[in-house]
Amino acid sequence: MTRLPVFTGQGPAEEPDDVDAVGAGTSLAAVVRNRIDGLYPIDPFGGDPQMQDVLAPLVRLGVHVRVTNPELLPRSGPAVLISNRGLGVVEPLVLAVAVRQIVGRRLRVLGAPELPILGDAVRRLGGIGYYAEDLGAVLRAGHLVAVPLGNTWLRTGAGEPPVGLIVGALGFPVIPVLVRPAGPFGVPWWGRWNATVGPPVEPDRAVALDDPLSAAELAERARAGVQALIDGSGAR
Amino acid sequence: MRVLVTGMGGELGTRVAQLLEARDDVTEIVGVDFVPPRRRLHRAEFTRIDPRNREKLVAFVTDFAPTAVAHVGVYEPHSRMSPRAARESTEACTIAALGAAARTGRLDRMAVRSGLEVYGRGRGRPSVPDEHTPPSPTTPYGRECLDVEVVAVGIGRRADIPVAALRHAPIVGSHVPSPLGRLLRLPVVPVPAFADPPFALLSLEDASRSFVEALCRGVDGPLNVVGSGAATSWQATRLGGRIPFPVFGPGWTAAIHAAELAGAPVPPHVVELIRKGRVADGSKALDVLELTGVRPTQQVCVDLYEWAVIVPLRRDEAAA
Repeated sequence: MTRLPVFTGQGPAEEPDDVDAVGAGTSLAAVVRNRIDGLYPIDPFGGDPQMQDVLAPLVRLGVHVRVTNPELLPRSGPAVLISNRGLGVVEPLVLAVAVRQIVGRRLRVLGAPELPILGDAVRRLGGIGYYAEDLGAVLRAGHLVAVPLGNTWLRTGAGEPPVGLIVGALGFPVIPVLVRPAGPFGVPWWGRWNATVGPPVEPDRAVALDDPLSAAELAERARAGVQALIDGSGAR
Repeated sequence: MRVLVTGMGGELGTRVAQLLEARDDVTEIVGVDFVPPRRRLHRAEFTRIDPRNREKLVAFVTDFAPTAVAHVGVYEPHSRMSPRAARESTEACTIAALGAAARTGRLDRMAVRSGLEVYGRGRGRPSVPDEHTPPSPTTPYGRECLDVEVVAVGIGRRADIPVAALRHAPIVGSHVPSPLGRLLRLPVVPVPAFADPPFALLSLEDASRSFVEALCRGVDGPLNVVGSGAATSWQATRLGGRIPFPVFGPGWTAAIHAAELAGAPVPPHVVELIRKGRVADGSKALDVLELTGVRPTQQVCVDLYEWAVIVPLRRDEAAA
């Protein structure tokens, strides 16, 4: 029977703690040959870990991140990183670079657009659908997921939390992260960024799964966590 | 446990019957279908009844008075019969067999075959639905599966018994009659030109195991059963050494006709799978049914292209 480098990426039965772990590298020629033969992993969310690993070094050429409190990033297991964002596209990318740099994991990002071609491409690179079910499924499969807060054009506040979606994150660790440009006047000068990881958000009572009230409370506490990081950084 | 297996003549029904035979808590197994079982059965008794012959089916089920029903008789269009015959057979088999079994008053559990097609792939739907996602089928086979679930749940509620609905990913294998399997085995396979969405597959063995476990444990409610990981149509085509042929827009109509001429009729739910993908979160089934070693989707895909090795019997073995 032909054996495959199959990435199963699902279920507690199969190595749930390192589904995101970046594996050992292989030659580009081998990658191209395997892709022509169909020998590459795809996960149920449309993610293509091999393509992500091939493109990651190119992204790191243009994005440089300094991470504060890197020890708070989870090295294994499912977790949600709630972060602020300005226009919306760059911060998740910066966070993905930071996560790969510090803990050697691939990051999933909530909010792949439902558009032809672009939507598929974003999913290939780690995006997942903007639905509570998709968030719950990706967490149960053991992934580390970035959930961006609402847009704040000048990055002055934490932004609105996606309350309806957080129900999928109930029962999993939620970690607030602040992503800010490191250049003068809040500009990402030469692609330099700062990321500050906050302490995990602790629910104030026993969380009931599938409970909208628990989800709303968790979302609010996560937003407050990001706001506390903004306040602590001296930015207004 | 006295088990009635509908659809015993199919690959899934036959394997379910074999697995039931191996269990000590199952005392009697009878099966019905319009064709005989695909493998040798030792304890199970098969009766050939066309599901559309309602009177005969109802009389048979009433006479047997099962305590459990494994309703495998949910027929996929273009698998072994035309879409119309598949729909009629499924509807007749579901209502006649489940209704008659419930009316005997001895029924204490049911497991019915369904599919991920019940979730549909309409806009604004999660791409990885779990069992809490409301079904919203977008193809005739999806509606057929949902109808089966609705009828079974209604009967179960009235009789106050657990009803497990097994929403299987498409079951493919080198010897499993399936429109998706036939399409992927064509020498040239139509694939979407501007997309490559993931789909999950399930091996026959895992589908059968999940069915038997759900029935014997008396599970209530729907369960998604999928092979781990996923594959895409471009990838599946290449894994089988086939040539992917990019298609878009109205080209699909021509591609579907060409595939039918080549011997692989493609029903709408298979077109939907190829163009929009079909996956689901199967983690609940792994927990509830304690399934381990579920075959990954890409391995199921490779198995699809591998034919079983034929071992000719020698003269003395044949005589023995």
